[in-house]
Amino acid sequence: MTTTLNDLIEVDPAPEPPAKPVKAGLLDPRQLLRSVPDALRKLDPRVMWRNPVMFIVEVGAVFTTVLSMAQPSLFAWLITIWLWLTVVFANLAEAVAEGRGKAQAATLRSARQDTVAHLTDGRDIAAPQLQQGDLVIVEAGQVIPGDGDVVEGIASVDESAITGESAPVIRESGGDRSAVTGGTRVLSDRIVVRITQRPGESFVDRMIALVEGANRQKTPNEIALNILLAALTIIFLLAVVTLQPLAIFSKAYQAAAPDTAALDGHGVTGIVLVSLLVCLIPTTIGALLSAIGIAGMDRLVQRNVLAMSGRAVEAAGDVNTLLLDKTGTITLGNRQAASFVPLQGVDPEVLAEAARLSSLADETPEGRSIVALAGGGDVPAPASAQWVPFSAQTRMSGVDLGGRRIRKGAASAVLKWAGVRDAEVDEIVDRISSGGGTPLVVAENDRVLGVIHLKDVVKPGMRERFGEMRRMGIRTVMITGDNPRTAAAIAAEAGVDDFLAEATPEDKIAYIRTEQQGGRLVAMTGDGTNDAPALAQADVGVAMNTGTSAAKEAGNMVDLDSDPTKLIEIVEIGKQLLITRGALTTFSIANDIAKYFAIIPAMFAAVYPGLDTLNIMRLHSPGSAILSAVVFNAIVIVFLIPLALRGVRYRPSSASRLLSRNLLIYGLGGVVAPFLGIKLIDLLIQLIPGI
Amino acid sequence: MAGWLFVLTLIAALVAVYRPFGDHMYRVVSGTRHSAVERGVYRLVGVDASAGQTWGVYARSVLAFSAVSILFLYAFLRVQDRLWLSLGLPAVGDHIAWNTAVSFVTNTNWQAYSGESTMGHLVQMAGLAVQNFVSAGVGIAVAVVLMRGFAARNAETLGNFLVDLTRITLRILLPLSVLFAVVFMVGGVVQNLSGGTDVTTLTGATQHITGGPVASQEAIKELGTNGGGFYNANSAHPFENPSAWTNWVQIFLILLIPFSLPRVFGRMVGQNRQGYAIAAVMAILALGSVALTVGFEIHGAGTVPQAVGAAMEGKETRFGVANSATFAAATTLTSTGAVNSFHDSYTALGGMMPMVNMMLGEVAPGGVGSGLYGMLILATITVFVAGLMVGRTPEYLGKKIQAREIKLASLYFLVTPLIVLGGTAAAFGTGNASTALNEGPHGLSEVLYAFTSAGNNNGSAFAGITVNTPWWDIALGLAMLLGRFLPLILVLALAGSLARRQPVPESDGTLPTHRPLFVGMVAGVTVVLVALTFLPALALGPLAEGLS
Amino acid sequence: MRLPAWLAQHLAALRALLVLTVVLGLAYPLLMVGIGTLPGLSGRASGSIGPAGSTLIGQSFDDDSRYFQSRPSATGYDPAATGASNLGPESIVDTLGDDPSPSLLTQVCARSLAVGEREGVDGRRPYCTAEGVGAVLAVFHRDGFTGPVTRVVSVNQTGTPFLAVYQGVRVEPAENGVDYRALGAVITPVRGDAPSRPVVPADAVTASGSGLDPHISPAYAALQAPRVARERNLDLARVRELITEHTDGRTLGFLGEPGVNVLELNVALDGR
Repeated sequence: MTTTLNDLIEVDPAPEPPAKPVKAGLLDPRQLLRSVPDALRKLDPRVMWRNPVMFIVEVGAVFTTVLSMAQPSLFAWLITIWLWLTVVFANLAEAVAEGRGKAQAATLRSARQDTVAHLTDGRDIAAPQLQQGDLVIVEAGQVIPGDGDVVEGIASVDESAITGESAPVIRESGGDRSAVTGGTRVLSDRIVVRITQRPGESFVDRMIALVEGANRQKTPNEIALNILLAALTIIFLLAVVTLQPLAIFSKAYQAAAPDTAALDGHGVTGIVLVSLLVCLIPTTIGALLSAIGIAGMDRLVQRNVLAMSGRAVEAAGDVNTLLLDKTGTITLGNRQAASFVPLQGVDPEVLAEAARLSSLADETPEGRSIVALAGGGDVPAPASAQWVPFSAQTRMSGVDLGGRRIRKGAASAVLKWAGVRDAEVDEIVDRISSGGGTPLVVAENDRVLGVIHLKDVVKPGMRERFGEMRRMGIRTVMITGDNPRTAAAIAAEAGVDDFLAEATPEDKIAYIRTEQQGGRLVAMTGDGTNDAPALAQADVGVAMNTGTSAAKEAGNMVDLDSDPTKLIEIVEIGKQLLITRGALTTFSIANDIAKYFAIIPAMFAAVYPGLDTLNIMRLHSPGSAILSAVVFNAIVIVFLIPLALRGVRYRPSSASRLLSRNLLIYGLGGVVAPFLGIKLIDLLIQLIPGI
Repeated sequence: MAGWLFVLTLIAALVAVYRPFGDHMYRVVSGTRHSAVERGVYRLVGVDASAGQTWGVYARSVLAFSAVSILFLYAFLRVQDRLWLSLGLPAVGDHIAWNTAVSFVTNTNWQAYSGESTMGHLVQMAGLAVQNFVSAGVGIAVAVVLMRGFAARNAETLGNFLVDLTRITLRILLPLSVLFAVVFMVGGVVQNLSGGTDVTTLTGATQHITGGPVASQEAIKELGTNGGGFYNANSAHPFENPSAWTNWVQIFLILLIPFSLPRVFGRMVGQNRQGYAIAAVMAILALGSVALTVGFEIHGAGTVPQAVGAAMEGKETRFGVANSATFAAATTLTSTGAVNSFHDSYTALGGMMPMVNMMLGEVAPGGVGSGLYGMLILATITVFVAGLMVGRTPEYLGKKIQAREIKLASLYFLVTPLIVLGGTAAAFGTGNASTALNEGPHGLSEVLYAFTSAGNNNGSAFAGITVNTPWWDIALGLAMLLGRFLPLILVLALAGSLARRQPVPESDGTLPTHRPLFVGMVAGVTVVLVALTFLPALALGPLAEGLS
Repeated sequence: MRLPAWLAQHLAALRALLVLTVVLGLAYPLLMVGIGTLPGLSGRASGSIGPAGSTLIGQSFDDDSRYFQSRPSATGYDPAATGASNLGPESIVDTLGDDPSPSLLTQVCARSLAVGEREGVDGRRPYCTAEGVGAVLAVFHRDGFTGPVTRVVSVNQTGTPFLAVYQGVRVEPAENGVDYRALGAVITPVRGDAPSRPVVPADAVTASGSGLDPHISPAYAALQAPRVARERNLDLARVRELITEHTDGRTLGFLGEPGVNVLELNVALDGR
């Protein structure tokens, strides 16, 4: 009889992605109001210049203001006001996005109190004066003065200031849990920390700069998109400017045409020309582009991931290959007993009992899982029990109960101890090994009873996630120190596309390089110092916050939750960022169709009445048509701020399906929405007397 | 009805030759074995056939060849009176010679002169028609370089210009020209060196029947999407296009290479479906345009067509309205500019369509080579926007489209509106627009058409306008020059940039660029982003005239 | 001595151009001229010249009533100056005065009237006056395009206007050299009551693209048949037979439009 693990014990559910409330998307009107002063400050042309599309709008608004003052009319002033609002709305989008970061930065700043560092040589200096390599002593209750590695001692540390996680974490010298962050507080014990940061470049400093978007650099795709938008702007500028001689000619030819607010003997009036220009240039995406970028970083921060550059976030969207550590990411941390395989003629109950007894004192998770599988874990061991602990030499552990000597361990070791050779045992051991499991042979005195089948337990839901990845075109690769046979079996069970068995740090780098030579982008997570080179080599390297400073330096993102599965979310956020940009660009361009049909008849129907045929929306008057288009153009920015901040809804699926869905919503929607919107605004505006 | 059958048979014929002819062209441009004749040419020219050129060297080669061509042709025109077969015609005037030299070297074939009263036979054959071949060859070569850029992996060199030019001319253009020159002769196109024959008409008058090497020029005129007519009346002239079937053949020849080049592209990048996708975009736009042009002309709106009862002014009886309109669409969808009827007398909206076709950037299917590279630029822009929408750095055929590519592509489609709209505005601003024959919106259309045609290297015209003034000759000459060589350099630079890129392997996350959705999107981008730019100008020209 | 790269490049380009000029500009066309002298092709390659001119090139028959007449030509059937009128669909206002230039509409109206008179049929057309000019009014409104009509001028007529009163306002004749549109008038063509399918066919009142169109429509030929038969004392049926004989139908049934080769038809008539 074999009993499966799942019948007997409950597997811990895999840690869910942190269910922190993600505030993005909900746009609080108060937040808008709070951002107004910032938005107004950004009207400074030296700031606007960074955004050529909106800069043109601002120049246009200044121009129409002058014209309105020279020749005041209700129409002129309304257009002018709405042009200014267009600029302000764009600034507002950016200010709101930055505002959220600022709130976070404020919290972080409070962590960066002025602390005093106690150096090991007895001096006390202010934390900002710490140099790399300084050794400082931190005792219970004190705030760690700077980023560094624990070189001596062990302590529990409260890192809630940066991670938001209230449970303390253990930091100890050596190993992969040695990194501490400045601004966190030691709760117990005493540690000596070697400072690894340069002055003023602490982790918290960088976080603050990051969330505030202070030194936000444009990412490659953003640069490319900006070029495209600039080109479109120039083309429309050209189309509008060159229209003037043609308009003058046409007006002169049709002497019967009366002068209107849109067109007189000097051609199209400045107000209308600017209106046409502003409506045609891609203001929607131009206004929201930087907000989208800031919000994308913000979404990462909300998931407790710190990206050191926007470039890395974008690269995450492009990732072709994900390298995932087996343990802790794909499988639960430890192996579990899955079944007992008794030899022929051995009572399964006897094997189970022997296994239980041998493991009662075994506090490793494997040991506990054996006890749980055997049942009766609450039955205590006889008092006479003599525990034989595991040692590297014997490679087995067990118990002596008077004459009963029970051992469990590696097959070769136990068989040698029992002094038997058994073909049946070899066969069972082989079968379990080739299935990816770990066989533990159990023997009592000189009799082999059977084999315990330990296996890696794949976290629930991983197969589905890897399936999603595959649909997104991403290959998942499992990294493990297991032998190839074991690795292959687990890889098959978890549903990853490939595995790297018996992986050394060099193997990882080599694997990453090979992928990159094939043009693929690689993402990986890591925590240990020996992961650092691979993290640096990878296009997206996510270091665990629990990891070493070396790892955190090498990667281009840090996960404060130290959750390796978060890589998948990071990829999704990267994609969402690009999708949002693409979708709003499409929307912006598609909008132009309706605007042409609003403004061109409004400008020229007075000269050639037949052109009123193009007024397919049947807008009330030339003035109301132009104003409606301008108003729509401004308001749509405000309407889209939440989308820009939240990002376009993203569900993992193939590129084809994503494209058809987004094209339908933002392409077709972008064509239709302004027809409805402009008509609606026109219905309201025509109520204004004189328009 | 017959008109639609005419179009359907053209489609059927183009579909039938797509693969075999595309494959032939592919072998020509990718082959490395050279015939004895070619080796002879290389030796005479002094070119090492195996030496590859970087995009920069290739571009300088193209420019050097074109510069030499312009100077040579200019000189040729200026001294034609002293040469054999000049028919007693005087030397061509300086600004017309400049305009004409630029026009033929840039594959525009805008004609500021009247062929029968300006050009002797030798200039037609050895000056103008030679450029018909080589300017077409340049276009195809540049398109091929762009294809090589897409297909290359980490490559620096992209082929050798003079080798490409020689192979394309000798293996594609010349054999087909020989074949179709004979076909045209069978149809009645003249081919002789006669200065003309005086005949006595039935009513006793004397009529001077012209001669000339027309058939040989006619074949390459259409095949190379050149369009420069031997005679002023171009393909309306019975000696250039004598019958309804030669008319069909001419349209077929116009579309043959541009519609087959996507096959070469597909072969080159190793995915024929990519070629089909590009051909599909071209076909959608072309069919839409042909349907509208024919529809508007048959409908015959406007005061004069209503008075006449059909839009027959400027059209030949043997072609009728439908076949004339089909030709008009074909000649402007490509960069040909040959005409078998006079667009100036078309209905307002029927006459707008040729303009719109050119404003699309002549990409459906466009001139030989230039159509394909224009379309690939548009596809690149589309890939960029669409690629973002699937959540990745956009890539086309595995090549990442980033700032440099977008910069080059954006500049490419900035050039034409700059020339067309800038030129039109300048004509009005400087008062030179007054040479238009017609008044009001139609006169505006004549000016707009002229710069649209020159800037896009088409060569057709609303021919009522008088353009052989110094201002027009110089302005349009510049428009043609910039409209040809700026985009061409940008395309070569793009090819160089793409060639250096490491291709990204395809996955499910890659935007598929061969599916109907993408095809539709490229067509949409072309219409919205490119054509709509001209809507304000069109509103004051053909739309104002047609919607009254 | 090594040449600088740019010079070498241009010299190579020049050599290439010269070589290609010899091949493409001399060898190819001369070869084709040679082929054109082969039997079977030589007639066509030299211009399809028959007893009275080229069968491909239209002729003017100078209103000689014994002949079928060709279409109007913008260049008078002169092969040394081919081309079209290039007048647009809204060319409807004549320039009157010392250097008159009729609009396309007036040309159409005049041709229609002339053909109608010649063939003894109704030459009226929409938008044409009875005297064969474009029926076009310059209408002045009080407010440009709108408001009551204040003044009306028949722009193409210096004599009695085709319409006495328009919207209650007396129609004036035009004065030479006045641009009424520039004075603020709205140019308004008046359709009149002519049948929408006029008796005189379209090709009879429009100029072709080349100015050398050798064909007329079968309808135009049919219209002329009675007159030619009468002038030549021929049986009308025989004339119609000849028309049919010299009608080029649509090639393969769908290419182009049917047309009657006027020269061949007239030669056939003379040849009898």
